[in-house]
Amino acid sequence: MTEMRVGAIYDRGYRHYDGPREGRSRRMRAIVTAGVRRCLGLKRNWKTKVVPFALLVGAFGPVFAFIGIRLLVGESVGQFLGYGRYLGIVALVLLLFAATAGPELLCPDRRQHVLALVFTRPVTRADYLAAKLAALLLVIGLVALVPLLVLFVGNTLTAPRAATYLREHGGDLGRILFAGGVLTVFYSAVSLAVASLTERRSLATAGLLGTFLASTVVANIIFFTATSFSGRRWLTFLALQGLPGRFVEWVFGTAAPPGSMAAEAGFTGPAYLAALAVLTTLSLALLAWRISRLQP
Amino acid sequence: MPVAQAQGLSKRFGAVQALRDVDVVVEQGCTGLVGSNGAGKSTLIKLLLGLIAPDSGQAVVLGHDVATDPLAVRASVGYVPEGPCLPGDVTAADFVAFMAQLGGLPSRQARERASEICYQVGLEEERYRAIGGFSTGMQQRVKLAAALVHDPRLLLLDEPTDGMDPQGREDMLDLILRVRAELGVDALVSTHLLGDVERVCDRVVMVHGGRVLLQGSIAEAAGTSSPGYSVQLGDGGREVQAALVAAGLEVRPVGDALHVRGPDRARSPEAREARSPEAREARLPETREARSPEAEAREVRSLEAREVADVIRDVAVDHAWPLRRLAPRAPSLEETFLRLQAAASAPAGPEAGSDGPPGDRRPLPVRPWGTEVPEHSGRGVRR
Repeated sequence: MTEMRVGAIYDRGYRHYDGPREGRSRRMRAIVTAGVRRCLGLKRNWKTKVVPFALLVGAFGPVFAFIGIRLLVGESVGQFLGYGRYLGIVALVLLLFAATAGPELLCPDRRQHVLALVFTRPVTRADYLAAKLAALLLVIGLVALVPLLVLFVGNTLTAPRAATYLREHGGDLGRILFAGGVLTVFYSAVSLAVASLTERRSLATAGLLGTFLASTVVANIIFFTATSFSGRRWLTFLALQGLPGRFVEWVFGTAAPPGSMAAEAGFTGPAYLAALAVLTTLSLALLAWRISRLQP
Repeated sequence: MPVAQAQGLSKRFGAVQALRDVDVVVEQGCTGLVGSNGAGKSTLIKLLLGLIAPDSGQAVVLGHDVATDPLAVRASVGYVPEGPCLPGDVTAADFVAFMAQLGGLPSRQARERASEICYQVGLEEERYRAIGGFSTGMQQRVKLAAALVHDPRLLLLDEPTDGMDPQGREDMLDLILRVRAELGVDALVSTHLLGDVERVCDRVVMVHGGRVLLQGSIAEAAGTSSPGYSVQLGDGGREVQAALVAAGLEVRPVGDALHVRGPDRARSPEAREARSPEAREARLPETREARSPEAEAREVRSLEAREVADVIRDVAVDHAWPLRRLAPRAPSLEETFLRLQAAASAPAGPEAGSDGPPGDRRPLPVRPWGTEVPEHSGRGVRR
């Protein structure tokens, strides 16, 4: 009786790779993809997903709630969640997201000495920096831009006449892209710059939150107590957490609350946009300098 | 054709001169880069990878100039760094696939290749676990997989068995041998473990204090050391050892036996006198004809071996100790390294400029083997 051979196991040993090879774009995409996964805790244990997904719920929750209410109640609910107002609501979520995502991207690579391996591949420091920045732009854009776009689409679809809504509010789409884009770039640059200063995630997160919140509190206290100080209107630029809000108010044509520091300081929107641009540029310069000094 | 070549490489970090005017040729095959901690091994590897720039000199790896084309070098080289360098919360399969993509492999091929290489280095189901839970040996395997996954032509391994248990060390050395045998990938293995070098390498580069002491085949390197004997004499105790040392020999107890060899006779005045044509003619009248330098070196070692045996015999006779064993021992890489290292560390003496080999021109103090290696040594070299 002959035995039937049902299978065989082969030890193929080491083999050379003779498949396709891609260039710089593949390497950049690999770092971007790994970075986005890292920020969102994907392909890692559940604990790493808690913070980013809680913040995403905080960012998208109001949008879906509003769209749901409009579906149930109809047009009568009006526009109580305007685009500028939405950005005001999620300002803290945006700051928290930036304060956790940036350090998550940069700090572990240095703390765990992963750069010793990354830089032994054909990856330059400029590639590494650009890929990390791209990853953070994608992730922060998920909070600063995507919910607004979802809200715009929701408003359009729940309007009695979608075409009319689009015609009447078409300008809002440009404003959403502009405001969301500027905030995405600003928070990404500042977050990565602060993260580049330390290997410890917690220190970077605390540093960014502390700087933004403390500067805003201190600037407000000095502004309203030192009323005789002639240059006190310039303190509004030191209130870092307030800068994005002032810029958004300008973009969407809303006014600062009466009696607030911004209202009394009297600067117009372009001044806040310039302040954001200066801070972004300084952050990128600091980041580039820190990355250029990294030793694998 | 050499796979890597460095000429006049120097590198200084602040007050520390890590490398000085180093000329190295890494031939095809497996080459061991041997030296104590702080000798400059890791600096040399980083210079060859183009990760740091030299103060002077130049290096060519796989035909690419490291200074002008470092990315081409890194695309063709796999590197296993010393120490921890792996993310703890990522699975081995994901990380190796990521490294494959950094080597230019498309994502699907990267995942397949990562899986295959993880299997080949002995990470089977473990490859789907987070690296943070891995033992040192498994982490070394992940590093090796990451270094191999993009199919490099040259592998640079920095202390690949450091911190591993004996079984893990054996497994890692087997892996290196397999990689060499099955893939034909050339390797430069930096280590302070001479046993590792003897096990897997066919050539060796010895560095100390930022200088190259010696480079060549393992056999050539081991053969440059003075010959010795494994001896069982009397009770082998301190008194016996002291008597042998007093007779001008170097002694190291190993188990029941004593490993005995002559002092650094090659550079001693007596040895030079003994090697003089007159002395050789007087002792070996049959060898008057001209000889090649290699034949002459063999003859000198043979002569020295006989002299060492004579001294041991004389000590045994003088003290009436029974000589139970007197077996020749082949010189080892360790002996060569310790001798060259001590010579390089010793202050320049009146013998500088003698007829010894380059980098090996100063007399060695007679001392028992296994004593503390002089300065620069840190943890020293061990087998």
